[in-house]
Amino acid sequence: MLKIIHRLEENIIALLLVGMTLLVFVETILRFGFGMGLMWSEELTLHLSAWMVLFGASYGLRVGAHIGVDFLVKKFSEETQRIIGLIMVAAALVYCILFMYGAWEYLGKIYKVGIELNDMSIKKWQAHSILLVGFLLIGIRLIEIGIRMWRYEQTMISMHDEAKEVLELQKEAVGGLK
Amino acid sequence: EPITVKFSHVVAENTPKGLMANKFRDLVAADPALKDKVVVEVFPNSQLFDDDKVMDAMLLGDVQIAAPSLSKFQKYNPQLLIYDLPFLFKDIAAVDRFQQSEDGQTLLTSMKDKGYIGLGYLHNGMKQLSANKPLKTPEDAKGLKFRIQTSDVLAAQFEAVGGVPVKKPFSEVFTLMQTKAIDGSENPWSNIYSKKFHEVQSDITESDHGVLDYMVITSSEFWDGLDEDVRTALKKDMDEAVTYGNEMSVKKADEDKQAIIDSKRSTVYTLTAEERQKWVDAMKPVWDKFKDTIGADLIDKALKANEG
Amino acid sequence: MTIAFLFILLFALIFFGMPIAISLGLASITTILLFSHDSLGSIALKFFESQSGHYTLLAIPFFILSSAFLSTGGVARRLIDFAIAAIGHVRGGLAMASVLACMLFAAVSGSSPATVAAIGAIVITGMVRAGYPMAFGAGVITTAGTLGILIPPSIVMLVYSAATEVSAAKMFEAGFIPGIMMGLLLMVAIYIVARVKKLPAQPFPGFRTLLVTGGRALGGMMLIFIVLGAIYGGVASPTEAAAVAAVYAFLIAVYGYRDIGPLKGKPWVSEGESTSAAIMRNLLYFPRAMVMSVGDQEVRKVIMDAAKVSIMLLFIIGNAMLFAHVLTTERIPHHIAETIVGWGLPAWGFLIIVNLLLLAAGNFMEPSAILLIMAPILFPIAVKLGIDPIHLGIIMTVNMEIGMLTPPVGLNLFVTAGITGKSMGWVIKASLPWTLLLLGFLLLITYVPQISLWLPEYLNELRGFAPGS
Ligand code: NA
Ligand code: NA
Repeated sequence: MLKIIHRLEENIIALLLVGMTLLVFVETILRFGFGMGLMWSEELTLHLSAWMVLFGASYGLRVGAHIGVDFLVKKFSEETQRIIGLIMVAAALVYCILFMYGAWEYLGKIYKVGIELNDMSIKKWQAHSILLVGFLLIGIRLIEIGIRMWRYEQTMISMHDEAKEVLELQKEAVGGLK
Repeated sequence: EPITVKFSHVVAENTPKGLMANKFRDLVAADPALKDKVVVEVFPNSQLFDDDKVMDAMLLGDVQIAAPSLSKFQKYNPQLLIYDLPFLFKDIAAVDRFQQSEDGQTLLTSMKDKGYIGLGYLHNGMKQLSANKPLKTPEDAKGLKFRIQTSDVLAAQFEAVGGVPVKKPFSEVFTLMQTKAIDGSENPWSNIYSKKFHEVQSDITESDHGVLDYMVITSSEFWDGLDEDVRTALKKDMDEAVTYGNEMSVKKADEDKQAIIDSKRSTVYTLTAEERQKWVDAMKPVWDKFKDTIGADLIDKALKANEG
Repeated sequence: MTIAFLFILLFALIFFGMPIAISLGLASITTILLFSHDSLGSIALKFFESQSGHYTLLAIPFFILSSAFLSTGGVARRLIDFAIAAIGHVRGGLAMASVLACMLFAAVSGSSPATVAAIGAIVITGMVRAGYPMAFGAGVITTAGTLGILIPPSIVMLVYSAATEVSAAKMFEAGFIPGIMMGLLLMVAIYIVARVKKLPAQPFPGFRTLLVTGGRALGGMMLIFIVLGAIYGGVASPTEAAAVAAVYAFLIAVYGYRDIGPLKGKPWVSEGESTSAAIMRNLLYFPRAMVMSVGDQEVRKVIMDAAKVSIMLLFIIGNAMLFAHVLTTERIPHHIAETIVGWGLPAWGFLIIVNLLLLAAGNFMEPSAILLIMAPILFPIAVKLGIDPIHLGIIMTVNMEIGMLTPPVGLNLFVTAGITGKSMGWVIKASLPWTLLLLGFLLLITYVPQISLWLPEYLNELRGFAPGS
């Protein structure tokens, strides 16, 4: 079950990224090849990008994509690291809750005004609702991380190492290094 | 503690709008009626919000005054499309007469149910056509890609002459013109000059075919929440600042036009009466499409302003 | 008071391991809550604006996606083969060829760590096998990899233009000559070291090999022409060029080189196959490859890796813009600018301060975040002092390059440590002499603005309309 949800999550993100790339590609080709303009493409692309980032930020937490600085924390004992980690999770949850409150306040205002986006007939509050959804998802992931820390399964929020990441990609391509 | 009024706009401080905003700030600071009661802070250059988001920020109470271009308001009140109609006003004086008329003033307060109150109109100026080839008759515009602001009227206007309206952010227009990704645009003299469009467009046609003006707005929640005397004093200072801004704007339009001609980077063409009529004939049918939305009588009243 | 709170909270969070993006956002939002009358709603609004209001920034995910396809494909290896065939026969030639390969890869990729990884993983072991000291190879590549953000396209330049409204295309034009200069500078330094230390040279493989390797590398190098040609030649905006680049990189990796995806291992011409049969087969492959890529595991993994990095970067950028927004609403850049202008510094003195500030920040933070926080502060002062915004942008970019080489947070250091399996300390020592060279280069760039400004001005003249015409 969890696997299906994860798979779905990844598919949505991939779809958003590929969609926005193809949209700009097609728009560019249309303009140069056929002298045509798509009035709504800029706004749609920008919103696809915003949705990818806000929807994907929590996915980033799951796969440890958000870079952080760990050289200081790593100097502490494992137990201290865990406590610091739990405090950081709590602080990050505060961030999430404040953001969700702000998003609620903001969406409420534009819901009341009821206007549409500039170039597409979509209600603005609907297009921007990913703010609330995105931070809610981040909050859920943070709670998961907190539980793992509580159970001694993880010590830092950002377990990510961008360097290692690029290398892994590379190793697959080059076929391993000594 | 004095009330802080944040005035957020998207252009440089030396433009008519920038000068007007700073003038308002200085007038309020020097106003004995507002001493220790109100402080105005000006944030130029989109430092705080762009024109889209500033409308929302005003509802949230984080910005008190802004001055987006009139095209931005058609989402809130479609009647304001009237200012985008091509060849409706013959010159900026006619625009001014309509704006100061009862109907013009009514439009200012027409968005109250959405939470906004207009405090005045600020001129940017009459729009000119520019392209990388001479535009003498509507046929010359056929197939050319024109950058427009979001507006159904403006899109229809270029489609009416066989052009392709393209929506691109203002900040990218220079590059897109330079790279010939777009062929032309419509802008007042001051925008052409300050953004150096005349350096990347070979020809400018003095068409005066439309107007690009701003509305100075505030949120009704903020405005109605002010003490009566403060509100009156602020409105007085605002009127004075707007008058000053409009003077600057008219003066600057002339100066910038001359500077563009003197630069010789671009050829400025003046239409003959005959050529101009062809443009009018080609573009005026656009009015019919929007007659119901705007109101035929309002259009008639706007036309009357040409006579004054 | 506000500013102290903001920065102390920010650094406390970062050093205790909070992801940089959340550190920036949380510091901003608490500052607003404690010291300002602004609503939380406006924070949410501003965050959405940061994600949906900057067309230029869209180029970032596109360039990352194209980079991802190029890194997994054999583009890097083919570029290296060509570079070695071209200059491997000079003394120290293999190291120089590695720099050349970094330059070529930099011209198709917008990121520095990606450049180090793509080129370094192959050439460092190659250099060791050819008899170079490992520290030498590692140092050269770690430094040459920073060209990824100086030679256009460049993610850092895109962020700079989003923060300052300076044209991204202009920045891309300006970075070209400094990028080539720095590459040549590295090669000259290598040559001198090679003579002193008697480093080996490769035998010259002959012009035939040069042509063949050049031809093989062309598929990758075409991207240079597509991206830079489109932007310099005046055909497309950086965002559009980036989207085209991403689609092209996919095609070249999946269909052209067939290093990944459904056609992997399928040759263009099978043994004993007639030409017409090969043409037919390859024509039919095309729709098949396009359809089958949708479900292909390798293609999917490249897309997800690109999405991961894009989300991470854009999420940092959004939160950094929030941070910059808090600085602005509290008028902090305004006050700092007034103070610095009040000192009556000349432009050259101000530029020293700019460099020191950026170098210090570069020790700890990610380049996009630094740019978004510092640009609003430094930009207005620079304009007042008559410094060209494009020149300032190149100065900031070179500073960010150095920041990738300085501990404790230096992305290129991390990558090289990973490639070589050595400690951070070892990598830092290995790249130190080259970092010093880069510092000298920074001085040159800072005080000779023409290096950065000549090409954009020249191109402008070329495109401009002759006066009086
Ligand atoms: Na690059
Ligand atoms: Na660093």
